[in-house]
Amino acid sequence: MKRVLIVDDAMFMRSTLKMMLRKKEYEVVGEAQNGIEAIEQYKKLKPDIVTMDIHMPEMGGIDALSEIIKLNPSVKVVMISAAGDQKHVLDAMQIGAKNFIVKPFTEDKVFQVFNKL
Amino acid sequence: MVHDPMMEMYLFETGQLVNKLEQLCIASESKQDISEEIDEIFRIMHTIKGNSMMMLLEDIGKVAHRIEDLFDHLKVVTLSEKHIEKVIDFNFDAIDFFKIELDKLENNLPADGSSDALVASIEVFLSELKGEAVVFEASEDQKYFISPSNTVVEDDEGEHFFACTLFFEKDAQMENVRAFTIVHNLKDIAEDVLFIPEDIVENEKTAETIQQDGFFIVAKSMNTASIVEEYFTDLPYIDHNDFRFLSEDEYNELKVDLTGKVEEEVVVEVVKEESTLVQKEDASAPRQSFISVDVNKVDKLMDLVGELVVAESMVINNQDLIGLQLSNFDKASRQLRLVINEMQDIVMSVRMVPLTMTFQKMSRIVRDMKKKVGKDVRLNLEGETTEVDKNVIEKIGDPLMHIIRNAMDHGIEDEKTRLSVGKDRVGQIELSARHVGGNVVIKVKDDGKGLDKARIFDKAFEKGLLTETMDAYTDQEIYGMIMNAGFSTKVEVSEFSGRGVGMDVVAKNIESLGGSILIESEPGKGTEISILIPLTLAIVDGMMMRVGESIFTLPIMSIKESFIADQHEIIKDPEGQEMIMVRGVCHPLIRLNQYYEIEGDADNSKGIFVMVEHDDEQVLLFADELVGEQQVVVKSLSKYIRRVNGVTGFALLGDGRISMILDPSGFMVM
Amino acid sequence: MEELMMNELEGDKYLTFAIGADAYGIEIEFVDDIIGVQNITYVPRQPEFIKGVINLRGLIIPVIDIRIRFNEETRAYDDRTCIVVIKIDDMPVGIVVDRVLEVVEISEITVPSSFSEANKNFMTGIGKLQDKIVLLVDCKALLEDIVV
Repeated sequence: MKRVLIVDDAMFMRSTLKMMLRKKEYEVVGEAQNGIEAIEQYKKLKPDIVTMDIHMPEMGGIDALSEIIKLNPSVKVVMISAAGDQKHVLDAMQIGAKNFIVKPFTEDKVFQVFNKL
Repeated sequence: MVHDPMMEMYLFETGQLVNKLEQLCIASESKQDISEEIDEIFRIMHTIKGNSMMMLLEDIGKVAHRIEDLFDHLKVVTLSEKHIEKVIDFNFDAIDFFKIELDKLENNLPADGSSDALVASIEVFLSELKGEAVVFEASEDQKYFISPSNTVVEDDEGEHFFACTLFFEKDAQMENVRAFTIVHNLKDIAEDVLFIPEDIVENEKTAETIQQDGFFIVAKSMNTASIVEEYFTDLPYIDHNDFRFLSEDEYNELKVDLTGKVEEEVVVEVVKEESTLVQKEDASAPRQSFISVDVNKVDKLMDLVGELVVAESMVINNQDLIGLQLSNFDKASRQLRLVINEMQDIVMSVRMVPLTMTFQKMSRIVRDMKKKVGKDVRLNLEGETTEVDKNVIEKIGDPLMHIIRNAMDHGIEDEKTRLSVGKDRVGQIELSARHVGGNVVIKVKDDGKGLDKARIFDKAFEKGLLTETMDAYTDQEIYGMIMNAGFSTKVEVSEFSGRGVGMDVVAKNIESLGGSILIESEPGKGTEISILIPLTLAIVDGMMMRVGESIFTLPIMSIKESFIADQHEIIKDPEGQEMIMVRGVCHPLIRLNQYYEIEGDADNSKGIFVMVEHDDEQVLLFADELVGEQQVVVKSLSKYIRRVNGVTGFALLGDGRISMILDPSGFMVM
Repeated sequence: MEELMMNELEGDKYLTFAIGADAYGIEIEFVDDIIGVQNITYVPRQPEFIKGVINLRGLIIPVIDIRIRFNEETRAYDDRTCIVVIKIDDMPVGIVVDRVLEVVEISEITVPSSFSEANKNFMTGIGKLQDKIVLLVDCKALLEDIVV
């Protein structure tokens, strides 16, 4: 059972992802609404995988990614981005995200990416 | 309406976002300035776009996307007044579109509205803006470091060489970034990774090249063959690839070819963006965490709490305990009562929702109507945080809307008239809400021309609703006539307030909530309509009195004093009304058995007088016996029960009997 | 009424009850509950046919004596007397009936032009079940008339 932390400021996105992941062997152990919460939750839960939305209030996904990578360079972070967000996704990959999924996404895509983590 | 969980969640969140959006837009409109709201509106549109795309609701997504683009541009631009107005209008148009589509989805209908027109007009506006305005573009220089991997490479026989051309799926998107991701991750297991096209980071156009011609990688690895092959299997977003192992010679040849084209080791700086923590003080909406709960569960909970109160009474006021001195029991039961009281407060608050949204809707309506009726009207809100039961919120919107439209359409005069009678050019409508006793009182007050009493009377007389002369009726009775079906003294029924939604429908809606409407008016000054709605789980501390076989409950708050029958003198006034003298003052006496035509006790020895007060007026009620004190749950009167003076509701007593709850104001003679 | 056989044809389902020797029927979509008669709390100054209110699982609902409504003679309640709770638009009302019979499907319905004055407003028609007649009650009309 891989443990996952879902980070997104939209409640709808969080529950959609949660519902998808529940179908396979992924256990959603926590959720966060912004970068600050994401870091807190990461420290507390030490999940195996983190899905990270890029645009969030208070602190965005790129900054949160930075901090979490510092805590654990081998953490597996998958960025969730909107279409056309080249620059931010590139930044994220540089900083250490493992892959990214573009909205809107289907279940298959999510699992395709997760299976390769 | 039942939806699948995803739709339910989508509707809930998007609904909330649209409401917040409207709040922001109304605020910016009154300031005629959007600078404070730009960021939040941008974020909200971004979220709505994302959510809607996930649900494959393209039209909603497109509108949100366009506005997001617009606001993205607005972040770096200053707008002229005219443009600000246009932007705000676009927002309201978008909000309206969202609401209509969301409403369809709520009712399990397809969201088939076309966004083409709105989207196109925003696009046109945006391109105009970009052509005209001075745009400050943030210059960002970011280059990336492409290097051989950092791991120490041992030149031994364990090396594997390979090449692969990757072809992406049609809808892969951002192929250059995906390609970058693949090579970036590849470096964990391979070295000397070379690829074509090589400027995938700096050049977005490579995405197209990659889509068409594929992405070519050649590298070598110390890992086992299977690990390498595994990496290229089932890569996400890849349609097909032609992975193959190479011999050392083939690899070297390719390398020479490639490095001949590429500059070796382009070393550039990684410019890291200064990230600033945006700590925005969101004064308007403190971050709260919500959960969504099935309304039925809440209803059941409420009923149970009501029953709990009754059950508690049954225990505390139990027959078996009469006459016993139980100090420990008393202490414990007091504690029990405290806990139950608190529980009842909280449960009631669970279903309670502030009127904020409803009042906001009214702001919107006034705004929209201002242009249509050509009058400038200001809507003043008071008490919008007043909470009412959830089902009241659902049913109060339409009645209020109608009343306010009426006020704007017919009540408030046009500018010329207003100025000529010395009123302010801008009409005022005051919408207020507050808790009074176990009720919510919502008032709509306008400073318009008021109701035409004579005209209303004539019409009512014509219809046979009133049969005596005008002075036989109170003002309120006459004004109340407008709540009858088919009653409109307007010569033409205006588009906004007439046609099918008459005051009679309003009255019915309020009635179905167990409430009532009061209409007051002063010619030339204005009209005030008050709506009184009982709070659902009202619990009253009551004094129980018996009259014959019936039990009445009086709220203890309204009782001034009580005394047994034979101490005072009963006299009659000129009209035959019985009076009692109490400490030198005469008060009317009302015998409940006579008043309600119930058979009372023949023997009056246990009879009791209770003095009740309302608005400084005092009246004495006579009952056969005082039964006791109890906390009771107020149940409103069914609509099939004729309203009787003084009776405002029913109560379930501890022993299962039903008591009628009295409201002293019903007995006041004046 | 003895055994009422179900018609082979599709019909609407009715809950039938007896008032004296007459059988009446109410469409079951309006029937919310059936309970044995209990103490009815008197409410002052109501029309005669409203006997009062009862407590139904915490809900206080008005009770109508249908004999009075149909201008029939009243009769003392006995242990077979029942209260049929009907509900339209979420507002429940109880009706006191002599005896509750059973749920039947009635497909043969006629609407005669000569109903007695008192009954005319409250009936939707006459149903035939084998050789028995069931007077079909128009719930909506019955309740509409009562509304304040």
